[in-house]
Amino acid sequence: MKYDAVIVGCGPAGSVTARFAAEAGAKILIVERRAEVGVPVLCGEGVSQKVDHFKVLEGKRWIAAKMEGARVFSPNGTKITLSAEYAGNETGYVVYRDIFDQELAREAAQKGAEIMLNTCAIDLLKKDGKIKGIIATHFDETLEIEANVVVGADGVESRVGKWAGIQTTLKPYDLETCVQYTLCNIDWGSPYCDFFLGKQVAPGGYVWVFPKGKDVANVGIGILASLSESGKALHFLDKFIATQPELKNGEPLRVITGADPVAEPIQSVKDNLLLVGDAARQVDPITGGGLMHAIEAGKYAGETIAKAVEKQRFDTQTLSEYETWWKNAFGKKLHRNYVAKEIMLDMEDKTLDMLADSLKDYKFEEFSTLSIIKALVTKHPSLLVKLTPLMKLARA
Amino acid sequence: MAKPKAVVKKEKCLACGGCISVCPQDAILMISSKAVVNKGQCNSCSICVKTCPIGAINWEGKKDEI
Ligand SMILES: Cc1cc2nc3c(=O)[nH]c(=O)nc-3n(C[C@H](O)[C@H](O)[C@H](O)COP(=O)(O)OP(=O)(O)OC[C@H]3O[C@@H](n4cnc5c(N)ncnc54)[C@H](O)[C@@H]3O)c2cc1C
Ligand code: SF4
Ligand code: SF4
Repeated sequence: MKYDAVIVGCGPAGSVTARFAAEAGAKILIVERRAEVGVPVLCGEGVSQKVDHFKVLEGKRWIAAKMEGARVFSPNGTKITLSAEYAGNETGYVVYRDIFDQELAREAAQKGAEIMLNTCAIDLLKKDGKIKGIIATHFDETLEIEANVVVGADGVESRVGKWAGIQTTLKPYDLETCVQYTLCNIDWGSPYCDFFLGKQVAPGGYVWVFPKGKDVANVGIGILASLSESGKALHFLDKFIATQPELKNGEPLRVITGADPVAEPIQSVKDNLLLVGDAARQVDPITGGGLMHAIEAGKYAGETIAKAVEKQRFDTQTLSEYETWWKNAFGKKLHRNYVAKEIMLDMEDKTLDMLADSLKDYKFEEFSTLSIIKALVTKHPSLLVKLTPLMKLARA
Repeated sequence: MAKPKAVVKKEKCLACGGCISVCPQDAILMISSKAVVNKGQCNSCSICVKTCPIGAINWEGKKDEI
């Protein structure tokens, strides 16, 4: 059987791509190697309320808790609150990622996409050097699945892109290696997503506490792989929890590991091929958040595929509309935040404390990079040198 | 003596794919929800060993540290 597009991976990027392509009439198959969509959950489960604008999720079953904002704690404990009261700040949700992913997949199926579970893509199907589909294993069978477009929505491993000759291997400097517990029996009643910074807390990353209800929260850590040693993330997370009176009596309902790319975006289009979501490194290098980008890029990818099917043209030029689209929408922000990541990694804990001190009473009325930098530099002129590269990008 | 190769402790691996995404030799694959090192391709660079957040990757022949 031949498809207009075969999508590798039934995460948010794959499902949303499938949904928008199928809605416009394209014949779509999603292959997913797992036995259940969205399981195991490999995520902190925080998402901006902007997700509502995309109208890709029905009902409220996927919402665990509504958040009023975020709090960032510097190494010495100085707190910055980013709350919804101030213009430009986003409220958000903590979600059940398994239900979230299954709802996105259900919507894709409802628009006509087919889903095959227990099906692992192992290579591209090529003829005369041209991509013609994928080769996949389904239990002990090996299948050839033909399609005009192959979509790599295969997450952090990004092997589809690699098979097509795109350099997707991450440098350890560009990966956050993560562990997370979902803890119950804790006393963390705040309606905020909390972030804890510092070399002693999470080298090159942060610890997060995302509440899922009064006495349940996701408590996780990401550390930069280039600063990691075997098992270090778990060790640092356990150490953090032991120092928090509200958390230390918690019991785990779930433990997961995770890998979050904090890289520069890569090439996402070739003849007969698109990469979407984590596979295209569409993750914010500062926060590690990728859900919103996966959904937004999935929409662009799906619509681009639909147009390509209409024209019956699947070359790089036709598919490039997708890349232009997402790079205009959030590519610049990702680049700017990559530069910001490099600056932050260079900072000593005491510089971070200084930053936090400048921002702690700041009313985020205008939440732009430039206005924040101005506020920082006014209070601590010595930060100017460090922040100049960012200022240039923010003005551009 | 040849350098030891990386091996994943199956019972420990939670299948995040981190090791796979950083291996410069493409020596690791996810097979039935466990990372598996293809010894022939591994050049013993230690990147995956350091990356694993829970210490599920070790050197071949090495006793587990507790
Ligand atoms: C610990 C952690 C915490 C995070 N917290 C947040 C957060 O709070 N908020 C946020 O916005 N983002 C967060 N992220 C990032 C977010 O999880 C990702 O950006 C998001 O999952 C990307 O979606 P995706 O569809 O691109 O990839 P994924 O959700 O990873 O989906 C990829 C799918 O492809 C499948 N697959 C892979 N290879 C194959 C193959 N060869 N054949 C068939 N199927 C295959 C996988 O099984 C998987 O189902 C976090 C990441 C980590 C690791
Ligand atoms: S990094 Fe560790 S937990 Fe993650 S897939 Fe590799 S071996 Fe498994
Ligand atoms: S030691 Fe290096 S080459 Fe060997 S599997 Fe690990 S990352 Fe790959």
